[in-house]
Amino acid sequence: MFFSLMRQWVLSPVRHFRLFHQFVRQEFSGQFAGSLGGFLWLFVTPIVNIIIYSFVFSVVFRAPIPESFGDVPFVVFLMIGYLPWFAFADAMGRASGLLLEKAPLITKVMFPVQLIPMVGTLVPYLVHGIAFFVFLLYLTTQGYFDLMWLWLPVALGLQFLFTMGLVAILSAFCVFLRDIQQMVTLMLTAWFFLTPIIYPLSLLPEDLRPLMMLNPMHSFVQFYREIILLGDFSMPHFQVMVLAAVLSFLLGGWLFMRIKHAFGDVL
Amino acid sequence: MHSISVENVHKDFRIYDRPQDRLVELLLRTPRHRMFHVLQDISFNVPEGKSLGIVGDNGAGKSTLMKLLVGTLEPSGGTIDIRGQVAALLELGAGFHPEFSGRRNIHLNASLLGVPDDDIDAMENDIIEFSELHDFIDRPVKTYSSGMYVRLAFSIATMVRPDVLVIDEALSVGDIAFQKKCVQRMNEFRAQNKTMVFCSHSMYHVQELCDTAIWLENGKIREIGKSAEVVAHYEDYSNSRRVYTKGEEQANSHQQEKPEAVKDCRILQTLVRNVDGELIDTIDPLQDFVMELQAEILNDNVICYFGFALMKDLEEVMSSYLAIDRPDVEHGPFKKGERITVQVQVQAMALRVGKFHVLSGVADESGLLWYDTRLSKEININPGKGWGTLVMRSSWSMQRE
Repeated sequence: MFFSLMRQWVLSPVRHFRLFHQFVRQEFSGQFAGSLGGFLWLFVTPIVNIIIYSFVFSVVFRAPIPESFGDVPFVVFLMIGYLPWFAFADAMGRASGLLLEKAPLITKVMFPVQLIPMVGTLVPYLVHGIAFFVFLLYLTTQGYFDLMWLWLPVALGLQFLFTMGLVAILSAFCVFLRDIQQMVTLMLTAWFFLTPIIYPLSLLPEDLRPLMMLNPMHSFVQFYREIILLGDFSMPHFQVMVLAAVLSFLLGGWLFMRIKHAFGDVL
Repeated sequence: MHSISVENVHKDFRIYDRPQDRLVELLLRTPRHRMFHVLQDISFNVPEGKSLGIVGDNGAGKSTLMKLLVGTLEPSGGTIDIRGQVAALLELGAGFHPEFSGRRNIHLNASLLGVPDDDIDAMENDIIEFSELHDFIDRPVKTYSSGMYVRLAFSIATMVRPDVLVIDEALSVGDIAFQKKCVQRMNEFRAQNKTMVFCSHSMYHVQELCDTAIWLENGKIREIGKSAEVVAHYEDYSNSRRVYTKGEEQANSHQQEKPEAVKDCRILQTLVRNVDGELIDTIDPLQDFVMELQAEILNDNVICYFGFALMKDLEEVMSSYLAIDRPDVEHGPFKKGERITVQVQVQAMALRVGKFHVLSGVADESGLLWYDTRLSKEININPGKGWGTLVMRSSWSMQRE
């Protein structure tokens, strides 16, 4: 039972590749359909964000440059953490509405519903992945590059799996409990400020720092910074990432597959 | 070989007092609900190539049964076994994305139904052709009228050539020309030995398109059998209740089925004569009389099947006479501008008291779409001696020993 559910979950994008592909295309271009700027927004949004944050933190707050990463402009330090977080937050923010929006489809057409949280996670990652890629290109022109960057896709993949599991759980629970939509927004704000993204870990009191190992997003952010800025990474963070990704992906998938048959009764 | 077999299926909806109870129950497996039985003891088989109609009042469980067949709902008990690929039209355009063009939606919808991409490319033109949306196919479907929406959805669902087609009220929308094509397409479907499940409030369509029918009442099968019989019994039952809900039903009576679009034929008048050809408005029981319609053909090459019905209360059919059952009656093709008079002689009026109207109608070659219908004046019956509503020819004899 457990294994057949897991197999369905893991294999469904392969088995139903055509539909998966159609869904991704639909969601991806659906985001821009009818808007004047179209795909331009993909690039405008992150650039404007970078400008805002660099103004606030370099000009207003004059945030200290974290010593452990050497002589780095604060904006670069910030953006390395912020862009992957943005992908995570975007996917999580949409999660609660995913199944509710597709209610007519789910109740009237028989298809592998598990594709919906998968697509719902993939699309924000594609969108923000582009922004991250643009940012990395910019960094190479500034003289940053290292072969260790090849670890970045691996880390992003792990973060994607981590997100997908959570999105599956959130989207499924939200069918039964609509309040989750509000809770997610609050939770994401809290999570954002509890993760050392706009501030370096060194600003935290010494005795609180080990607690951060319980926050997988911290490990992801730290990993990206170490790879990009130092060309190296520390093993404990990587272990947390792998563990979090595998656990979330499997647990989320299992929960989703187990309760998806009840969607038709509620939606 | 059964294409669909349903055994002892029942469906209960759990009613929760609070929405979160449902989640708690799913996770902890402790019951926190009350049961509502939507369907009980449903068993039937549909042999391959046959079609099944489902009739019943609103809330009888028709839609739930359709959803169970399609698989979007799971039965609470019992088994449903369906062989082959199922395509469903439960809600027209359920998978459409409003911002996308019709063409993109064809691809999206077809892959939802499980069609490989290459096949979709091959079908695309046929679908556009059938839906008659050439000029609009590259515009977003949110700009479509509901009729266009339906046309596209129906075209896709039937073009993917499923083994089993499940249709919920699809024919009630769309203009008359398209309805005609739908009926044709569904008949082709039957000819190809495909299985069909069809749920409709149009008794006429159920009767003509389905071999067997199920009458659902309060979640149970009240009757299952030949569609003509089941429909007749259901109609009888609805008519007996209609007295109380006359106002409501009147809006849904045959008058509504008149085409709004271009007619191929128009009925000028409906008359009732005695056997000597004189117009009458009263009639004696057991008298012979003649029903007559005069029609004008409005297009070239029109096939017409004429029909008459004796109507009680303007809505209940007491007796019907259809040319489609009579191959010896000419049905065209007729030329534009032709005027046609059709007469049917009826022997021995069997009503003893009351009044009635004669309704005449013209249907297309499928016999399912009425171009036009028209009522005669009210005809009163001169009551004879006796009791009861009916009178029949009778002869007496007596023996004494």
